[in-house]
Amino acid sequence: MPRYLLPRDLIGKAWDFPIVPGTKAIAMEDEDSLTMAVEAGLDCLMGFDPKTVDGLFFASTTQVYTEKDSASLIATVLDMREDIITADFTDSLKAGTTAVSRAVDTIKANKDIKSILVVASDTRAPEPSTMWEYGFADGAAALLIAEGENLPLSIDDYYSVSTNVTGPWKRAGKDKFIRTYEPKMDARFYFESITKVMLEVLKRNNLKPEEISAAAYYYNNPRMHGSVSKLMKFAGGVAQNSVFFQLGDLGTPMPFILLIGAFRRPKPDAKIIMAGFGDGADAILLQVQNRDALRDLGKTRMGVLGHQKSMVSLKNYNKYLDFKEVLEKDRYTRKSSAVLIWRDTASVYKWYGVKCKSCGAIQYPDMLRSCYICRADDQLEQVKLGLKGTIFTYTLDHLVGGNYLDTPVPRCVVDLDGGGRVLLNMTEIEKPEENVQIGMRVELTFRKEHEGAEFKNYYWKCRPERGRP
Amino acid sequence: MGRKGIKDKVAIIGCDMTKYGELWNKNQYDLLFEAFQGAIKDAGIKKDEVDASWVGIFYYFTGLSGAMVEDILRLDGKPSTRVENYCASGMDAFRNASFAIASGAYDVALACGVEKLMDEGGSGLPGFKQFGHPLYPTPSAPAMFSMAATRSFHEYGWTKEDLARVAVKNHDNGADHPKAHFRSRITIDQVMKAPMIADPLGRFDCCAMSDGSAALILTTPELAESYAHADDYILVKANAISCQTNFPWYVPQGGPGAEFTHFPATEKAGEYAYKEAGITNPRKEIDCAEVHDCFTITELLNCQDLQFCEKGKAAEELKNGTFNWDGEIAINPSGGLKSFGHPIGSTGCRMLTEITKQLQGRAEGRQVPDAKVGLCHNLGGAFTVCSVTVLGQRD
Repeated sequence: MPRYLLPRDLIGKAWDFPIVPGTKAIAMEDEDSLTMAVEAGLDCLMGFDPKTVDGLFFASTTQVYTEKDSASLIATVLDMREDIITADFTDSLKAGTTAVSRAVDTIKANKDIKSILVVASDTRAPEPSTMWEYGFADGAAALLIAEGENLPLSIDDYYSVSTNVTGPWKRAGKDKFIRTYEPKMDARFYFESITKVMLEVLKRNNLKPEEISAAAYYYNNPRMHGSVSKLMKFAGGVAQNSVFFQLGDLGTPMPFILLIGAFRRPKPDAKIIMAGFGDGADAILLQVQNRDALRDLGKTRMGVLGHQKSMVSLKNYNKYLDFKEVLEKDRYTRKSSAVLIWRDTASVYKWYGVKCKSCGAIQYPDMLRSCYICRADDQLEQVKLGLKGTIFTYTLDHLVGGNYLDTPVPRCVVDLDGGGRVLLNMTEIEKPEENVQIGMRVELTFRKEHEGAEFKNYYWKCRPERGRP
Repeated sequence: MGRKGIKDKVAIIGCDMTKYGELWNKNQYDLLFEAFQGAIKDAGIKKDEVDASWVGIFYYFTGLSGAMVEDILRLDGKPSTRVENYCASGMDAFRNASFAIASGAYDVALACGVEKLMDEGGSGLPGFKQFGHPLYPTPSAPAMFSMAATRSFHEYGWTKEDLARVAVKNHDNGADHPKAHFRSRITIDQVMKAPMIADPLGRFDCCAMSDGSAALILTTPELAESYAHADDYILVKANAISCQTNFPWYVPQGGPGAEFTHFPATEKAGEYAYKEAGITNPRKEIDCAEVHDCFTITELLNCQDLQFCEKGKAAEELKNGTFNWDGEIAINPSGGLKSFGHPIGSTGCRMLTEITKQLQGRAEGRQVPDAKVGLCHNLGGAFTVCSVTVLGQRD
């Protein structure tokens, strides 16, 4: 989850709308679906060796390119192998649940593919001054789908329908914001599809609604959520509704986030249903297999709760417009180079430095051939660097590229845990004049840097610790 | 250092500089032409007596290659080389010209520098969107030096007021210099209240951009006896450069400069120069110095690194008047970069011109009383390149 929440009353006040309670999660201008997917992937893979995962599926309706996938870059940044399968699932809000279903199919069908990381991420931009603004929110979630023994949770069945809905939509190359012309028709498609797939999964598995402990299905307004629960005859508290009030309508990752939220107090053998909607629907039936293992997963990563705890509210609506790049203004950019990005992939994306075989000093980036400390030549070998560190010195730069764009930028010299000194810009910092300090603990986060050469140039930044283990 | 070095083998027989400032009505060709004409007039020579030239230019838009000298001065195809070494470009041009004289390759050499920054606009040094790697952060120049200020505050207990005193002193000196870009005296309060450029450095902690040029004519001491300044030509006692990393923020703990409270380039260049000049107690033996004050913190740390005072004591020494123009060792009696601005390629030659005139007793601004030995110092890049030149009177 991004760090910032937009209180809905700020939207109401901005447009003289009836005030709606709660907040919604808002990505900053240096975040997009891809960077949040990296964040979710890092959290999900905490404690796993990324080199052991055989694939990555990325699900989003807000992919950062329309030609060029995101999964391959996310897998690179997560330091996964090259001989893996990657794919983007896009254009439908059910892309997340569809990707999970296809991950299961793929693992079942291929003896060489034993695990796939499925990451769903969305940053849907509502048109300002429309009621969509109360809903659309930003977030990402990842599920590691694998075959093997003693897994915490099993996927027992899944079922989908495909429906040609009449809204909402975004026309390719034309629409910046989502459109629809008949919200009542949209709701009808939603009720029909989402209940149909869940009922069918129950039927196929001879389950009664009361046998389901938790239902994590997509919704974009709390009233419709309640109606679906009633239609499904779920017992009270089964339908997970923890998300909308604080975080909003998160799009493709929403069923994942509801599901993860349902694991806070897992019951043994609990049966859980997860469903996604969009041009049809998917329902996935899961069962708790190892309650302790499932609980441990929650303890050893930030998960949904750890993120929620570290979110703060924006103070004004204009900052939100700025984050969403709705306002026309000059933004920092610089040259880019395809060759440099390719040659320096290990340093810039995978976060490798080098270690001197002669004196042991760890340094960054992998660029120079002689050691900074002992000056030995060609004794440097690649080493994976840590994603946390401590600020050694810093400044707040008001003069970025000769322009005063989104300044000041905190420039931080960070000593990484485990070795290596790096220079990182800081993000997610309020009042840097007061809050950036020598000795401050920081975490690394992968962010959008600039769009030089009309290309998305990403790099690492640091941020005040949010609680990543 | 080589076994012989260049001590007392090179003489400065003429020098001059232009007015520094936002010179919209002049181009780089005017500036170098005027500095050169002033220098040959000072030396009492004709332009055809110059055998070879070295010109310090940092930015490509000021001019590429040694051909800049030919275009501007029309020396009939004589050899000329452009020197780029960050803020030390001008002093490195002088160093190369010195070597040419010391080796006997040429009888008369021109060392000069020019930079035309103000045609590019005034919001910080240009080019920072093009330099370097597309993804690694590229801090602005003030941001680079601010990281040393933050750490020095932490380690030495210095404050923003300690930095402000550097600006106040230098602007006070510069107010008397007819060629300075800025000639207003300022107060500590003004410095403290100025807008931030890169915390903790505000506007008055940073030198300005500027246009300007300076030129010096070099020959051997033997030949100098037959030129206009036969009685008061100035001798090069030492000239040293040290290069350190372009990326001080990547130097791991324990590596050179990793503390951000000193500049290894300045320390080394100082050591090399003192060894060559035979100086053992810089504070006592040097009377005046033009020390790179691109930012206030830079001057304080450089004074320590050049052994003018103990580490951590520069702020206190400054407060006590040690570095005033009439103090124990005059630092930036001209007003420094703070008063002149910093047309990068020219600054080293401007400092050399300034100290030459100080030692000749004909300083254009404040004359340091009884100045016999002087030092010039540049520190460029991310504390990357340092040039130190020691000048002295003839016997």
